Amino acid sequence: MIVTTIPSPAPAPFAFDGVVRLTRTGTTFIIFTVVIGFAALNTGNNPLYIGLTFMLGSLLLSGLASKGGLRGLDVAIDDIGEAWAGRPADAVLRITNRSRLWNVRDIIITSEDIAEPLLVPQLGRGRQEVVHATLLFRRRGHVELKSVDLYTRYPFGFFMKKRRVSLRGEMIVFPRLLDEQLHRDRFRTTTGEQTTVNRPGAGSEVHSFREFAHGDSLRHVYWKKSASLGRWIIKQTELDVARAVQVLVDPYRPRGTTEDEFEQMVSEATTFVHQALSRGLDVVLQMPRVSLRSKDGQGAHSMFRALALVEPSAEPVHQAMVRNTVVFAVGERP
Amino acid sequence: MTRRGREVEVLLLAMLAAVPLYFNYAIGIVPLVMFHAFMAAITVRVALGRGPDVVPPVLMRVLAFAYIGFYVVDAAVISRSAIAASTHLVLFIAAYQPIESLQRNNLSQRLLTTGLIFIASLATSTHIVIVAFVLLFGFLMFRQMIYVSHMETIRVTGRPYALAPASRAAAFYIAGATLIGAVLFPILPRLRNPIVPGMIGALGNTTTGLSDAIDFNQSRTSSPDPAVVARVWISPDAIPFFTPLRLRGAVYDSYSGNRWLQTSDRRRSIRHQRGVYRIARPLGFARVARVQQVLTRTEGRLFLPAGTYAVTGLPQVLRGPTRDSYLTISRTDSVTYEASMSRAVEPLEPESVRVPAYPAGPEVVALARQIAGSATGLEARAELVETYLLRNYQYVQRPEDIGRTAMTTEEFLLTVRRGHCEYFAAGMVTLLSTLNVPARIVGGFYGGRMNPLTGYFVIRREDAHAWVEAWNGSRWVTFDPTPPALRPGGSQGGMVGSYLSALGESATYFWDRYVLTFGLGDQVALAMEVITQLRRATRASRASFRRAVDVATSPGMVALYAGLLALVLLLWIVPLRRRPAFELLVRHLRACGIEVGPAMTVEEALSELRSERPEEAERLAPLIALYEQERFSGRTDPGRGRLLRKRLAELRA
Repeated sequence: MIVTTIPSPAPAPFAFDGVVRLTRTGTTFIIFTVVIGFAALNTGNNPLYIGLTFMLGSLLLSGLASKGGLRGLDVAIDDIGEAWAGRPADAVLRITNRSRLWNVRDIIITSEDIAEPLLVPQLGRGRQEVVHATLLFRRRGHVELKSVDLYTRYPFGFFMKKRRVSLRGEMIVFPRLLDEQLHRDRFRTTTGEQTTVNRPGAGSEVHSFREFAHGDSLRHVYWKKSASLGRWIIKQTELDVARAVQVLVDPYRPRGTTEDEFEQMVSEATTFVHQALSRGLDVVLQMPRVSLRSKDGQGAHSMFRALALVEPSAEPVHQAMVRNTVVFAVGERP
Repeated sequence: MTRRGREVEVLLLAMLAAVPLYFNYAIGIVPLVMFHAFMAAITVRVALGRGPDVVPPVLMRVLAFAYIGFYVVDAAVISRSAIAASTHLVLFIAAYQPIESLQRNNLSQRLLTTGLIFIASLATSTHIVIVAFVLLFGFLMFRQMIYVSHMETIRVTGRPYALAPASRAAAFYIAGATLIGAVLFPILPRLRNPIVPGMIGALGNTTTGLSDAIDFNQSRTSSPDPAVVARVWISPDAIPFFTPLRLRGAVYDSYSGNRWLQTSDRRRSIRHQRGVYRIARPLGFARVARVQQVLTRTEGRLFLPAGTYAVTGLPQVLRGPTRDSYLTISRTDSVTYEASMSRAVEPLEPESVRVPAYPAGPEVVALARQIAGSATGLEARAELVETYLLRNYQYVQRPEDIGRTAMTTEEFLLTVRRGHCEYFAAGMVTLLSTLNVPARIVGGFYGGRMNPLTGYFVIRREDAHAWVEAWNGSRWVTFDPTPPALRPGGSQGGMVGSYLSALGESATYFWDRYVLTFGLGDQVALAMEVITQLRRATRASRASFRRAVDVATSPGMVALYAGLLALVLLLWIVPLRRRPAFELLVRHLRACGIEVGPAMTVEEALSELRSERPEEAERLAPLIALYEQERFSGRTDPGRGRLLRKRLAELRA
């Protein structure tokens, strides 16, 4: 089995832990200030004190400006497109500067889920800016975008200031899609004319009639028969599987298999379903307690969502299976 | 701004940083001119779109290596000052770096070098104009630093983007930095490190315009020089008695070879009693003047106002090194002290006075006798001579105007009869000498100009003057033979000019007093003032609080609180106790025998009442209609509510 994992992105050269880092410019400036301070103190020369206070003022102001500027920034997610693990996804971030005093420039926005650092050249006080971001998620499933890191060295570049801004954004990241070549041979059994599988389900052919039961949809009431018999009769259709592919995903993860193998299986199933849909096939995805059908591409989203959320099961789960079902499982199926 | 424009701005910034060095003479003018010429050549090339390599980079590198050795020679032989040599070195680096920028981006280093030049300029400047220079330089520097920060962000992210205009931001930050700087300036400790003395040279020396001798063999001119020598505060009630001010600097009481000289005196310390240095005995009306005075570094001579008999506020006062002159020792360039003055002073000890040995010719003697006539008193003779000179001699400030640059006192008295104050004073002393009256020339400053904004007299170097002191037998009496209108310090400008002058002088005073000479003593005074004000404010607030508590706990106020509380309770309880209209209706219906159940409306109750007691139902029907209107109408009508309650009250009655 080929296990492909996406490595964590390398941290940006400017990234750091904590909230502030002295830059080279800042270090030089502070050394310069200390020297001038010593000279002023030593000589009692007040013009030197003027220079010293001016430099100290610049340092203090630089710290206040970068801190105050970043503190006034809010980041919100406006929109996120369809996201697949390992593939760039488009998102729109809205950055607002709530500060009444500080303008901020040269803002760098990073996060472990943002593919490339974003740059906001200038954000005036009380203004907001929309930034198009490319997100890159490494794993499928329910992802919560908790925070982004904002960096700036504005105004004078003495300090690199950082602020972690909390976000309210959550989304479902679909499983990673693999190379199409991997599953080409698995489509051999799925092509052909439309057939039925002699079991009730979504389709156009009549399978059987039965008494109305609580919970049945009124759309399926066979009115003609009901009128003649004087009681409600339900018409059941036979499941269509022609130009359709039945996919079964078994979430059982036997002992001795790794999580990566399970993820690989889910990715393979997703890739298979994705390819089937792109070939115009109808897909029935069977998983424990859920059976999803996608016809003409409709319902695909639910299917990928189910695959994104499937969790490994410690115990085998019984699932009825029809002929030609494509099964995806980790290890040997019991 | 284009890259070229920014490069030009960086070059101009370095040139600007060095401009104050022309005026404070921290280094020679030659290296400065060379620096500016070289930088100007680079700037022109860059502005024309060419490279900054005025000199081939290879040659410049060779020069840079050669300069290492030259620096030692410069410090030891040429400028003989490590500070001046270091300033030259920094200027060289500033000229070298634009050419080096062809090889690598060195913008940060260039700005650092520019900062060093700026500090060298700042450290040696004393004029208030430096404030404008600091603001302009800071603004341009901040612009550049914002740009450097921007470029650094581009470098780390690898994504170029345009820099937004930075002028407004730079102006904003310069204002902020100035504000913070102004707050920090008085707080930073003013302590001189005794271990490493004088790393950077102190302020430039100043002169007062007074010479050691009055040498009539040379041309003696006084040029207009507005440099402030002293500022003197006198209380308004004393101004009529002690002005025009005379600040005494030097006493010329001996004559030799057409030169009036000061007589040497042994330098000796004057003892003080509780900080008061007594130098004479007061006679008559006395007042105190506060004097802020520039000190000459080499002498430390005090310019005490004429009539001073005591001095306070100085760490030390010495008599000497010439007769009747006083010194102090201070590490600062100016001192502030209080001079106690009286209309006249006598020496504390008997003084041996002598008549200057002036070799007067017979014509001068004859003139003196003619002036004195039959007067015999020392003071009377002096007055006659003074009056004679005032009436018969013409004041000419510039010797060139009378066609001769130098003349003797006799020539002045007998033939020319025109000259400046020194000739008048010397002529009077000469005449008094022939009359055997002890007299001497006093050099100092006269008049000054009153600053109406700050209330002090400003005495400038151009107010230098010479007058005469004659001995009357017990004390020295001041005489001034120079016509008063022509004495220095008497010039008057227009109203606007005077006002602007006063304004400028006030700013300069503030700058001198609270910036240039601000020291540890001022910090202590400031801290004490702050503590005093805080104590005062605390005391005031405590007293106000106590007063407020007293008022609040007075019986009248307690009664008022009780009344207010009762009113509030009344307003709160009455509506609670007021029964709803529905309940009143229900009670009335119950009285009529109709029990209104929980699921019953008053309309239903009215139907029942109508069947049992129709006449009562007819009476109640309009009221119930009114109630329903009040209860279910979306529109509130206070009048309707009042009418309903009134009817219900009538019903109850």
